[in-house]
Amino acid sequence: MTTPPQPEGSPEFAEKIRQQPIDGLALKNLTSAALTWLRTNHEIVNALNVFPVPDGDTGTNMVLTMQSAYDEIENTPKFRVGEVANDLAQGALMGARGNSGVILSQLWRGFARALDGQDVINGQTLANAFATARDTAYKGVVRPVEGTILTVAKDIAAAAKAALAITSDPFEILEIVVEAADASVEYTPELLDVLKDAGVVDAGGKGLFFILEGMLRFSKGMSLDTAVATVQPLSAIKLEGAMQTVEPGQDYEVVIDFRPDKPLVLEKYFGALEEMGTSIQIGEGDGMYRMHIHVPTEKRYEPIDYTMTVGTITKVHMENLLAQIGDIERDRQTQPLKLAPVEPGQIAVVSISPGQGIANVFASLGAAAIVEGGQTMNPSTQDILHAFENLPTDKIIILPNNKNIILAARAATEVTVKQTAVIPSRSVPQGLSALLRLVPDGDFDAVVQDMTSALDDVQTGEITTATRSVEIDGVSVEEGEIIVLHNGKLILSSDDLQDACLGFLEKADIEDYELITLFYGVDLPKTEAFRVADVIREKYPDHEIEVQYGGQPHYQFIISIE
Amino acid sequence: MRIGIVTDSTADVPPEIVAQHQIEVIPAIIVMEGKSLVDGKDISRGEFYEKLPTLETLPTTAAPSSGAFHSAYERLFQEGAQAILSLHVASQLSGMYNTAKMAAQAFGERVHIFDSRSVSMGLGFQVIAAAEAVTQSLSVEKIIHHLQAVRDKIRVIAMLDTLENIRRSGRVSWLTARIGSLLNIKLFVEVLDGAVLNLGQARTRRKGIAHLEELIRKLGKLERLAILHSNAEADARQLLADLNLDLSTSPHIVNVTPVIGVHVGVNGLGIAAVLK
Repeated sequence: MTTPPQPEGSPEFAEKIRQQPIDGLALKNLTSAALTWLRTNHEIVNALNVFPVPDGDTGTNMVLTMQSAYDEIENTPKFRVGEVANDLAQGALMGARGNSGVILSQLWRGFARALDGQDVINGQTLANAFATARDTAYKGVVRPVEGTILTVAKDIAAAAKAALAITSDPFEILEIVVEAADASVEYTPELLDVLKDAGVVDAGGKGLFFILEGMLRFSKGMSLDTAVATVQPLSAIKLEGAMQTVEPGQDYEVVIDFRPDKPLVLEKYFGALEEMGTSIQIGEGDGMYRMHIHVPTEKRYEPIDYTMTVGTITKVHMENLLAQIGDIERDRQTQPLKLAPVEPGQIAVVSISPGQGIANVFASLGAAAIVEGGQTMNPSTQDILHAFENLPTDKIIILPNNKNIILAARAATEVTVKQTAVIPSRSVPQGLSALLRLVPDGDFDAVVQDMTSALDDVQTGEITTATRSVEIDGVSVEEGEIIVLHNGKLILSSDDLQDACLGFLEKADIEDYELITLFYGVDLPKTEAFRVADVIREKYPDHEIEVQYGGQPHYQFIISIE
Repeated sequence: MRIGIVTDSTADVPPEIVAQHQIEVIPAIIVMEGKSLVDGKDISRGEFYEKLPTLETLPTTAAPSSGAFHSAYERLFQEGAQAILSLHVASQLSGMYNTAKMAAQAFGERVHIFDSRSVSMGLGFQVIAAAEAVTQSLSVEKIIHHLQAVRDKIRVIAMLDTLENIRRSGRVSWLTARIGSLLNIKLFVEVLDGAVLNLGQARTRRKGIAHLEELIRKLGKLERLAILHSNAEADARQLLADLNLDLSTSPHIVNVTPVIGVHVGVNGLGIAAVLK
């Protein structure tokens, strides 16, 4: 992954940009700007989470998708806009992560299709490209839902077409389109109740807005990399996720909760922190602030000292990130994954797994390849493709095991010559249930059908900690509480893990089921997992209870009832 | 022409049929706790399965010696047989076939060794078909031709209640990776053309038996049926009742040979059938 060069931002440069036709090089620069602006604002997009669960981060997914698109053309010698757009679409597809990433890649695909054979983009071709982008994205989704990125794409296309009546200048059209995108994003809660209930706009739509706005800002010579000092909801700051992006030299993570003595001047506070470290995030809730930063060892106390000058510190959390990463590496080394062997002509299963323990279980049940990924780390189309490309068979079945990965898995099936199918498993228990039905030497279509029908043989419980306070599906949740999702739907919250588990089993109506399997997460001590299992065993003596190490992040338990 | 029929104890042919058709059964050898035991003679199947789960070292099985085959063939010829058909467990799964072949060399063209490519009653039904053909005074060539047709219609499907034995015995290559698996996994296997195929899995015995029933029904109309089990007779009887199949011959219920039981473990359940 490379960082795109910063486009020059002077008004003169902008003027030059606007006067020249949009050829391949100009499109490259615009894409670079779009990527930079999206990256600058991706935490805002990440914070637009409907469910109060640590979910696939839409902003991160879209950045990674755009990055992959840009990587494809960064060093391109091509200058015809059609060719560059086509390469961008290809890069976006391979890097597509999460549902928004996949839809974004389809928007690029449609956009490129309209530009096929074109040297430059003019007003008419731009409007056409937005229209085919919309059509391609809608076609790529089985059941399009309004109030999402799709709606924004539709409104963009409509705005571009209408703008043609006023102007034929592509940059003027872009300006109108960005305004329309903004309005469309703001309107998404009116179309989709879950957004309204959660008090957020659609994250994917917002990401698309930033992409277009980045292009517009570039054409106006406005800066792209200065973080607009935005305050996020506290929940948007994910401490665990930060570990994956430790920069060399930034060894310590410092998180400070504080209450400012007088109204906080964000830009100033942010600026001071930038002198100390990286990965800065600031959240606010009820007048309380939380600041997150990565700093080098010698500066680990500086954020604390500085924050004391602006307010009263209530809590400080400090962690040595490198030591933690060492722990993770060690854990990985102790458990080698033994994948099922597969022979030419047999059906091989590729399974996406959110944890090492769960990966082992999938492998033990016959998965031939595992792709790491889950709630907060959606694998890209390419990650999935790589997993099965080298398997010695042409018959591949993919188990996404997460609703945010299904589209990326489907996208992978579209860029391979192998015979492939995606079983739309939305949870780990569903994936395991389907995998049980794998008959490696069976008829491909029959096996796919049989595995798909097994998805509903199980009930899924997912137990995690609420990342923010919200009321959804009639359940009121406080940030930090334990919450339970039953087959993907939020059903209860509790301040106690054991009560949450018991409450779930009660609501799940498990009388007709025999076996309860608890996969405990990487952060839950084994003794605690077994203690909760014993409580369940006592309450449900007629059921078999099995406890397995799942190793998934964020989720204390993933529970399978079958 | 008098034709003698020989098989081995892994065929699981019910004793009354063995007696009726005067089938010569050569017992397999089970090596357990350091002792060599003759299948069905030194140890009963009930005894074997009672002990199996308690053993620290898995028993092993051995093909009878070439001499055992040789003396059986010799005796049959002395008793007046003019040719011998010797049918055995799948050559891919056991050394029995090769041992028989070696012993047969001494008798030239008179002994025909037939590879059943199956196990238990999958072999047993071929033995019975051979014995029945003999009573119709067919030539050895015609009988073998007939057996090849029967062999194509043989199906053997089983549900393993535990993966422990088959994993430890190391006989099935695709299972070697299955360490650290979930408990409660029931594995379905099919023995077809001498290969052990993976027919999928289930969790919990109840679901497993329901799935087994489904697999059996998918076979379509059956001419003959044997319910196979490894010390799970009650379940075997229940399965037969639940299947409620319309059969022209009466079905058998067989506690399978320890030679297979070693790999299957206790509480396995399955069928051998001849398709219509």
